[in-house]
Amino acid sequence: MNYRTLEKIKIFSGLTAMAIIVMAWLYPVFFLLINANKTASEYAKGSKTEIIWGTSIFNNAVTAWNKGIGDGVLNSLLYGLAGSAIAVFFAFIAAYGIVRLKIKNGLIWFLILYSGTVFPFQMYLLPLFEAFVAVGIYNTKFGLILVYVGLCIPFATFVLRGFFLTVPWEIQEAAKIEGATNFQILYKVMMPMAKAPILLVFLIQFTWIWNDLLFGMVLSRSVGVRPITTVLAGMKDLYASMDGPTILTATVIASIPTLLIFLLLQKHFIRGLTLGSMNAGKG
Amino acid sequence: MNFLNKDNNQAYLYIAPAVILVGLICIYPILRTLVMSFTDNDGLNPANFIGFDNYIRLFSDPNYVTPIVNTVIWTVFATVLPVAIGFIFAYSMQFLPRSNYFQVLVYLPATVSAAAAGVLFGFILDKSGLINQILSFIGYEHLVRDWLFRPPENTYSMIGAYTWQATGINMMIFIVGLQGMPKEQLEAAKIDGAKGFTLIFKIVIPMIMPYFVIASLLALINSFRVFDQVWVMTQGGPGRYSETLAVTMYREGFVLFDLGYAASVAVLISLVGLIFSYFYLRSVLTKEDVGN
Repeated sequence: MNYRTLEKIKIFSGLTAMAIIVMAWLYPVFFLLINANKTASEYAKGSKTEIIWGTSIFNNAVTAWNKGIGDGVLNSLLYGLAGSAIAVFFAFIAAYGIVRLKIKNGLIWFLILYSGTVFPFQMYLLPLFEAFVAVGIYNTKFGLILVYVGLCIPFATFVLRGFFLTVPWEIQEAAKIEGATNFQILYKVMMPMAKAPILLVFLIQFTWIWNDLLFGMVLSRSVGVRPITTVLAGMKDLYASMDGPTILTATVIASIPTLLIFLLLQKHFIRGLTLGSMNAGKG
Repeated sequence: MNFLNKDNNQAYLYIAPAVILVGLICIYPILRTLVMSFTDNDGLNPANFIGFDNYIRLFSDPNYVTPIVNTVIWTVFATVLPVAIGFIFAYSMQFLPRSNYFQVLVYLPATVSAAAAGVLFGFILDKSGLINQILSFIGYEHLVRDWLFRPPENTYSMIGAYTWQATGINMMIFIVGLQGMPKEQLEAAKIDGAKGFTLIFKIVIPMIMPYFVIASLLALINSFRVFDQVWVMTQGGPGRYSETLAVTMYREGFVLFDLGYAASVAVLISLVGLIFSYFYLRSVLTKEDVGN
């Protein structure tokens, strides 16, 4: 056997071993899908590893949707889209002000904004609850959007500041000479160049908001306001009225949006998240 | 207006919304929690300043031994496991062609919420769940148990579920690290006869040490304040047997309404977290290629 064949066999066996390990790693996902596609009695009586070729998952989805998951999905979509978009917009103009308009003590302003990523969320909960009740925005959609905007600004500012630091100054000066105002430069020159980082930060923050449990639990109470994670976590309390496959189907529904974002962007997303987490805070 | 004609004065308008929102949602609560922790605030009666009483209570109350011990267990195992498994994945992927497909699949659990993963593992670890069915199928009946209702099994089971989600990010950090590793040095070591574990422990790991530091500190920061997984799977129960400090904080604040006490738990979590964060930021900021 020559060296080349030996190399090939090595690589082939390595790939096979890794494929088996990764399949085992993802078995919980497989378990989720096959058991979401069962009726209550099939799940209760049968083996948990058995595959049943049917369409029970659709019935389960309808049941789950009507028992709170539907509201949760729509609420979380609203919080994710609005919260992330508004936060990215404010962070974008703030980063522009700090880097490109050379605000006095720019680093200090940046650190003030950045400080929002350093403390554990446990430090925020009690005063936000207290203040939201006092102001009358506890358990309102407005309150949750507000809190998600505030929480997403620090990380978005960090990434977008990084973007503005890389833009050549000549571009800005050329626009200035042609008589563009600062806002025109921001809107017509910077915005088109920043499409990629803006989209990336938007999607990372959307994912974070969609997956958040803590603030939803602390700042909302009723079905019309609660985000999807909170609804899902609360389903266990309704165990009696909710069968296993329905809860598992609800879990599938709750995971689809962020999973899609991840599969669409893959490497960019992972890179962004790796950067983001290396930047402390968002776990 | 002359004041606004200068760019760096105009800049205040641009940063104002962000600064105001971060001030209200992040900075004000931090200061307020700190103040609360020195009071007997119960959300109803006027709060009195009571000095360090909440903190003294925290360290003398036998009820808090369990959450503190659990938090230490979490911090140790939910750091070591994801970092170690993440490194093993990253290291072995290097030798495989098209490993990016595997990377995406290993990373995948990290993209779903801790709430969703918690619900899923609730079913897997259930008394009549997947794990127990497999155990009895392969003839290990004596190991069958109610995983989430029995300490200390419940804490370790939850750490397992957590590891499943937390490994991906560590793998990615190590992949970045391994890609940046100078290949010549590695080749030289191989020619000198280093292989297997010697190669890994004597050459590879020392070379990517900064990434180990970053990954471990990040894992420490996150595991020390774990909440979602525990809340969804056991709510800290049965009793308080699987409670961690973050769950204690939530329970004291939002179930028992002992706000001052809850605030002191939050401050304690933050202090320890800040120590980790300090070292963490220091090591990230010294690594230019990662920081930008």
